[in-house]
Amino acid sequence: MTHKTPTNWTDRDDAMVEQAIRRGASRRELLKMLMGSGVALGAGSSLLLRAGQAVAQTPKTGGDLRAAGWSASTADTLDPAKASLSTDYTRCCAFYNRLTFLDEAGEVQMELADTVESSDAKTWQITLKPDVTFHDGKTLTSADVVYSLRRHLDESVGSQVNSIAKQMTEITAVDDRTVKIVLTEANADLPTILSLHHFMIVADGTTDFSTANGTGAFVCETFEPGVRSLGVRNENYFKAEGPYVDTFEYFAITDNNARVNAVLSGDIHLAAAINPRSMRMLEGQPGVVTSVTNSGNYTNLNIRLDMDPGQKAGFIEGMKYLMNREAVQQSILRGLAEIGNDQPVSSSNRYHNPNLPAKEFDPERARALFEQAGVLGQSVPIVTSSAANSAIDMAVVVQQAGQQIGMPFEVQRVPADGYWSNYWLKSPIHFGNINPRPTPDILFSLLYQSDAPWNESRYQSEKFDRMLVEARGSLDEEKRTQIYWEMQEMVANDAGTIIPAFLSGVDAHADSLKGLRPNPLGGQMGYAFAEYVWLES
Amino acid sequence: MLRSPTTWLLVGQRLTIAFITLLIVSFAVFFATELLPGDVAQILLGQAATPEAVAGLREAMGLDRPAFLRFLSWLGGLATGDMGRSYVNDIEIAELVSGRLVNSLRLAGIVTAICVPVSLTLGIAAAMWRGSWFDRGVSIMTISFISVPEFMVATLAVLIFAVWLDWLPALSYGVNVDSLGAMLRAYAMPVITLSFVVCAQMIRMTRAAVIETINTPYVEMALLKGASRSRMVLVHALPNALGPIANAVALSLSYLVGGVIIVETIFNYPGVAKLMVDAVSTRDLPLIQSCAMIFCVSYLTLITLADMIAILSNPRLRQ
Amino acid sequence: MTMTKQRTRSLRLPTPANLGYRFNWAGRIGLTVILFWAVIAVIGRWVAPYPVGEIVDFDYFGPVSGDYWMGTDYLGRDIFSRILMGARYTVGIALGAVTLACAGGIVLGMIAAVIGGLFDTCLSRFLDALNGIPSLLFGIVVVAAVGTSITVLILTLAVIYLPGSYRFARALAVNVNTMDFVTVARARGEKTSYLITREIFPNIVGPVFADLGLRFVFIVLVLSGLSFLGLGVQPPNADWGALVRENIEGLSLGAPAVVFPCLAIASLTISVNLFIDNLPTKIRDRSD
Repeated sequence: MTHKTPTNWTDRDDAMVEQAIRRGASRRELLKMLMGSGVALGAGSSLLLRAGQAVAQTPKTGGDLRAAGWSASTADTLDPAKASLSTDYTRCCAFYNRLTFLDEAGEVQMELADTVESSDAKTWQITLKPDVTFHDGKTLTSADVVYSLRRHLDESVGSQVNSIAKQMTEITAVDDRTVKIVLTEANADLPTILSLHHFMIVADGTTDFSTANGTGAFVCETFEPGVRSLGVRNENYFKAEGPYVDTFEYFAITDNNARVNAVLSGDIHLAAAINPRSMRMLEGQPGVVTSVTNSGNYTNLNIRLDMDPGQKAGFIEGMKYLMNREAVQQSILRGLAEIGNDQPVSSSNRYHNPNLPAKEFDPERARALFEQAGVLGQSVPIVTSSAANSAIDMAVVVQQAGQQIGMPFEVQRVPADGYWSNYWLKSPIHFGNINPRPTPDILFSLLYQSDAPWNESRYQSEKFDRMLVEARGSLDEEKRTQIYWEMQEMVANDAGTIIPAFLSGVDAHADSLKGLRPNPLGGQMGYAFAEYVWLES
Repeated sequence: MLRSPTTWLLVGQRLTIAFITLLIVSFAVFFATELLPGDVAQILLGQAATPEAVAGLREAMGLDRPAFLRFLSWLGGLATGDMGRSYVNDIEIAELVSGRLVNSLRLAGIVTAICVPVSLTLGIAAAMWRGSWFDRGVSIMTISFISVPEFMVATLAVLIFAVWLDWLPALSYGVNVDSLGAMLRAYAMPVITLSFVVCAQMIRMTRAAVIETINTPYVEMALLKGASRSRMVLVHALPNALGPIANAVALSLSYLVGGVIIVETIFNYPGVAKLMVDAVSTRDLPLIQSCAMIFCVSYLTLITLADMIAILSNPRLRQ
Repeated sequence: MTMTKQRTRSLRLPTPANLGYRFNWAGRIGLTVILFWAVIAVIGRWVAPYPVGEIVDFDYFGPVSGDYWMGTDYLGRDIFSRILMGARYTVGIALGAVTLACAGGIVLGMIAAVIGGLFDTCLSRFLDALNGIPSLLFGIVVVAAVGTSITVLILTLAVIYLPGSYRFARALAVNVNTMDFVTVARARGEKTSYLITREIFPNIVGPVFADLGLRFVFIVLVLSGLSFLGLGVQPPNADWGALVRENIEGLSLGAPAVVFPCLAIASLTISVNLFIDNLPTKIRDRSD
C-alpha cells in the first residue's frame, strides 16, 4: 500500500483534480500541480486514477430532464434580483450566468468573467470572456454587467441583495469588456459575493422578466409562475462542456410525499430537498439514489438580548445548555445534520473554527442558571412556526427538556403565513431559518453586526464590528482566518442565537441521472445542476 | 311553467340579488385582506425587507396609492371586463387565471358527471330499501370513505397505483396528454379521490331526504292506497325531496372549484384553489379578489340552480 | 323500519331506553363507542403511559410492541399516549363546533322558512355571502385579528360550517312549511316558536341530523388543516387528524403511527353517524 492517499487529502482536493481533468489538463500538468502541493509522485498517480474514473463516466447527450423543487407560487420570478425561492435559483441558473461561481470545493471559479482583480480589495477590475452571446443573439458587453449590478441599488427593483450591493459605490464600464467596481471599503470577498445567485447577468435595459434573455445553458421556452418552466438546450452556449440534456423542465411539488413518490414512480428524474424521514423508504429502492449536501442552512432559536427574559443574566446560557442538540440531530433530523455550536459558520466553510465545541446537553446546569436568572418555574413562551424548517419539533424538544427541570415553556405555533414579517426578529423568543451564505463576512454583517438588518438577538459589540471591517479588508488569509475564528467564538458565547444543528439537504434522483455532485451553495449542485447532469438511458 | 312571467321575474330577481351578493363579498374580501399583516412589497422582499427597500418597491408597484382607491379602480375595471394585473408578477390576471380555471372546471366537471348519477341512484336505492343489508352496506361504506383524511386517500392512491403497480402517473399535470388513454390515466387518481368524498356526502344526504319524505302523511297515504314501494318513492317521495337534495348536491359541488387544494397539491394539478392560496400568501389583492369572485360566482350559480329546482319541484312554492 | 322493530329490548341506562324508546343494536354500538371516546377525552391525561411530547424511542415509526402499544411516531413519541391525549381535542372541538354550527344553522333555517319574506331573503343572502368568502382567507384574518385559542377555533369552525347547515335546513323546512298541517296550525294562530318546534322540526329531523353527522366528520378532518394557519391545537398536543398528517411519511412504510390515528378517527366518525342513523325511534316517529 505504498500508493496511499495522503492523510490531509480531502474531497475538496478530489474535486479540484477532477475539474482540472475536465478542463483538459494533461497528466503531466496534473502531476506537476499535485507535486507542487506536496503530494508524492506515487500517491499522485493513484489520485489521478481515482479522479480519472470519476471523469471516465463520459456524459451522454440528449434526453428530457424533469425535476421538481419544493416551493412555488405565483411569485415565482425570472428576475434574478427578486429571486427568493430555491425554484427561482434553479431557473436563474439554467437561463443566466454569473460573473463567478463556487465549485464543489467552495472555491471561486470564473464564469462570465475572465478575471476579477484588485490590488487593494477596494477597487476591482473585471474583464469579461469574449464571444458570449445572449439568447437573443446580442453579444455580452460590460454595459450588461453594469446594468445588472446597478439594478440591485435601485430600491424600486426590489432586490433581495440590496443591502449587500450597497457597498458597490461605483460600477462603471471601462471598455467593452472591462468593468470597474469601487467599494465603500475594502472587501476581499467580492469575487465570492458575485457568485450569489442574485448577481446573474441580464441584458442591458431588460425590464420585462416574463421570459428570460440570458447567456445560460438553456433557452427559456415556457414560464408560468407557480406552474412550471421549460428550457431547451442553448446551442451557442459559451462553455465547452454542457449542457447535455435537450430540454429541462422544472416545477415544484410542495408535498414531500408526493415529491418522493413522483421520483419513485419515474415521473421525474430529481426530487429536491426531501424530508430525512423519507430516506428509509428510499433505501433499497432500485433505480433511485440520494445525494446529501452539507451546506450551512440552519434553523435557530433566537432570544432577544434587549427583552425579557433574554436580558436576565444567565437565561440565554441556560437555554444553550437546555438545547438537546443530539436529539435535534438524531430524532428530528434523522442524522442528516451536523451539530451546531451557536455560531453561523458551518464546517463546509473554509473559515470554520474547529476548536469550538458545541455546548453539551446539561439540564441541571441550565436549571441552576435559570434559578440565578430568577426565571425558574415561570411560564416562558416560545414562538414557532412551520415557516422555519423543523422549528416546531425543536420547540417541543426544548419544552420537554424544560419540563424535566421544572421550567415550563409555552410553545406558541403561529401561522407560516406572514411569519417573517410579524414574528421573526420581533418576538422575545422565536425561531429563525437562515440560508447558507458563502462567506463569514456576509453572515456576520447580515446577522450579528450591531446595526445588522437581521440582528436576530440584538447582539451589540463594538469590538465585533471593528473586527468585521478589519477582516473584510484584509488580503492576508492567515490574519483573516484568525479574526473570523475569534468572531465565531464571540458569537457562540455572547449572542442570543442558539444554532443547534446545520441541516443537510437531500436530493433524491433516478440513478439514470449522472453527474450530480454536492455543492456548498445548496442542494441540486448549488441549484445549478441542470447544465452539468446527463441522462443514461 | 318556464314560460310564465313569474318565473322570469324570479330569475331576474335572483340575478340582481346574486350581483349584490358578489359586490358584498368583494368588499368583505377587500377589508379582510386589509386586515392581514404585511403587504405585497414586504412579503416579496421577505427576509430582505428593510424599510427603505419596502418603501422603494411599494412606490414602484404603485402601492403608495391608498388601498381603497386601488380596490375601487379594480372594481371599475372589472365592470368593463378587465380583471387587472397581478401585483406580484405583473401578468394580466385574465391570463393567469384562465388556464387554471379551465383545469379546475374540467376536473370538477368530470367528478360531477360521475358523482351525481351514481350518488342519486345509490342514495335513492338505499332509502327505498331502508334498513336492508344493502342500505347498511352503503351507509358504512360512505362514512368510512369520508372518515379517511383526503390527503391520506390521495397519498395512498399514488403509492399503490403509481409507485407499486406503476399503472398510473404520479402527477396529473405535465404528463403528455396526447391521447384519450393518457388523459384518462392522468385524471384517474384525482377524480377517484374527489369522487369518494363528494359521492359519500351526496349519497347520505339523498338517502336522508328521501326517507324523510317517505314518512310524510301523503306518501304514507299513497302506500296505503296500494302503490308499490318503488313507485311510491319515485313518484311521490322523490319530487318532494328534490329541493333539499339539490341543495345538498350544490353544497357538495361548490367545494370542487375552490376547495380541492389537497388534491391539487398532491397530484401537482394547477387549479384555482392553489392560485388563491398563493394570492393570499403574497397579499396580491387583484388576484385574491378575482379568485374570490370566481369561487363566489360558481357557488352562487350552483345554489341558484338548486333554489330553482326546489321551487320548480314543489308546486306550492311556485306561487 | 323493519330492522328497528326486530330488537326492542332497552338499555339499562337513564337514557331514552327506560322511557320507552326503541333503540337498535347498531345505534347502541355507535353510542357505546362515542361514550368510550368521551370518557377517554376526560381521563386520557391520567391513563396515558408516557408524557405526550416525550421522545421515548430514538428510532422512529416504531412497530407495535409491549412498551409502545401503537408504535412510535416520526419523532419516536408514543402514539398510544398521543391518541389518548388527542381524544380530548378531537372530540371536544368537533362536538362543540358542530353543535354551534348546526344548532345555529337549523334554527335560523327554520325561522327563515316560517317567516319568509324580506327576513328570509336578507338572511339567506347574508349567509350566502359569508359562504362566498374563502375560508382560508377567513381563517388567516381571524388569527391575525383575535389570535388563537381553542375557543376561537371552535367559533371559527362554527362560522365556516353554519351557512351550509342553514341552507340545507331551510330547503327542508320550506318544503314542510307548505304542507297542509302547517297551514292549518298557522291558521289556528300558532306562534312561530310553536310552528318551528312542534310542526317543522320533527319533520326535518332525519336529514338534518344526517347533515350534522357529515359536518362532524368534516370538522374532525379539517382540524389538522387549520393547524398550519396556527389555528389548531398547540404542540406538543395534537388532534387525531394532525397525528395522521404529521406521520404521513410513515404510510409507505406501513407504520402503525399513521394507521392507528386513522382508525381512531374512523371509529369515532362512523359511530356518530351510525348512532344518528339509528336514533331511538320514538324521536323519529312523528306519526304516533
